[in-house]
Amino acid sequence: MGKWVNKTINPSVVWESENHILIEDLARLAEGAVDADERKHLIGHLNRCQRCYQILQETLRDISAETSTQPGSVPWWRTKMLYALAVSIVLALLIGGPFAIKHWTQRSPVIFASLDLDQGLKDILLEDDALKWEKKERINRLLTALQQRGLEVKDLNLVLLSNPYYQKKSLFGPKEILHIRIENKVAYLEVKEKD
Amino acid sequence: MDPEKILSSSDLLAKIETVCKRRFSAENDKNECYIFIIDSLKADNFKRLRAFKGKSKLNTYLYSLINSLIIDFRRKKFGRRRIPAGVAKLGKWAETVYRFVCWQKFTFDDAYDFLRVDGLYTGPYIQFIKEIEPIKKVPCRENPAFQSIDETSESALNDINDEGANPLEFLIQKLDREKRIKAIKVIRETTAALSENDQLLVRLVYGSDQSVAAAAKIIGLPASTAGKRLKSLLTKYREKLLAEGIREP
Repeated sequence: MGKWVNKTINPSVVWESENHILIEDLARLAEGAVDADERKHLIGHLNRCQRCYQILQETLRDISAETSTQPGSVPWWRTKMLYALAVSIVLALLIGGPFAIKHWTQRSPVIFASLDLDQGLKDILLEDDALKWEKKERINRLLTALQQRGLEVKDLNLVLLSNPYYQKKSLFGPKEILHIRIENKVAYLEVKEKD
Repeated sequence: MDPEKILSSSDLLAKIETVCKRRFSAENDKNECYIFIIDSLKADNFKRLRAFKGKSKLNTYLYSLINSLIIDFRRKKFGRRRIPAGVAKLGKWAETVYRFVCWQKFTFDDAYDFLRVDGLYTGPYIQFIKEIEPIKKVPCRENPAFQSIDETSESALNDINDEGANPLEFLIQKLDREKRIKAIKVIRETTAALSENDQLLVRLVYGSDQSVAAAAKIIGLPASTAGKRLKSLLTKYREKLLAEGIREP
């Protein structure tokens, strides 16, 4: 029970007089079996008399408890509601299932590619030695370079480089390959020497 | 209707037993309650049962009668409640604290808030804690936990998630002390200004956790209409609270 609200708004007056509502009238009121004039009079009394209010509300509670413990007293709608819920779940699975499976199995594709590390790509890699690229301009330059080299990648949010890339001093150094994996708009880069 | 037959029916005996169990936690009190009600129903040649005129259902009448007798039993068992002299000499505020904590089983914390709402105590909480020390030492037979009662209002937090069932209670519980005291005042004043029907509707549903359907029957409205009425009444409470700067934290 809401103890704060109960204390705040319940009738606080204890009438010591014998002028209380008759038990049978309280019972009729609990059943809703009183006419308008009588109801008005009874409600006026209940709002001021702690004893009568207490009898009424405890009676309502007892009747409610009795009804809820009686076997077979579960309201029809409650049972049907459960069936309806079960049917709804099955229908949702039947209708939405294939879409969900499609959605889960066809998540953004993972792109794997290996590109010869030409000067254009090298320039981008050499801009600084950060392994985690967060500058949007640099990421966009890489994106454009990849698209120009035939990769069907639409957007990139982040680039992660496995090792810092440094310019090889040898003019005839070994050929280098840029291995790329793109997943969920994140590009993972690794430069390896070609055998 | 044969009152003797009714009284000896297993149905009525089970009702009395169930209600006494529901109202009292101590085994002894439950048994005394049961015997008191049986004796009262037998008294004056079953006067109370004979008073039934058949205007209501017998079942409802019996529950109302049992509940009325339980109030009498409480009074008989615990006597006409008197405030102990040691408390009374401290003043009206102390009597009220004793009434709240000993008789109504509120915590001392709750009592402080109610006193503030009613303007019976204006001092700070720290001062209150010092001043209730003598009250704590007074015995209370209705509430054996009186002296060691938990002051953290833990019970008040038990159904804090029950917003749907009782939004007013939910709000009050979430507020800090000063806002809570203010909110209680606003709710009390707003309720007092409602029509008699609306007052009872709010009391039954939000004060006593009765179902809307049960309350609607008493007010004489269809349940759906009572539900709508409650919604508009809640809006009224909300507006009044907002006007006083009280909102959900």
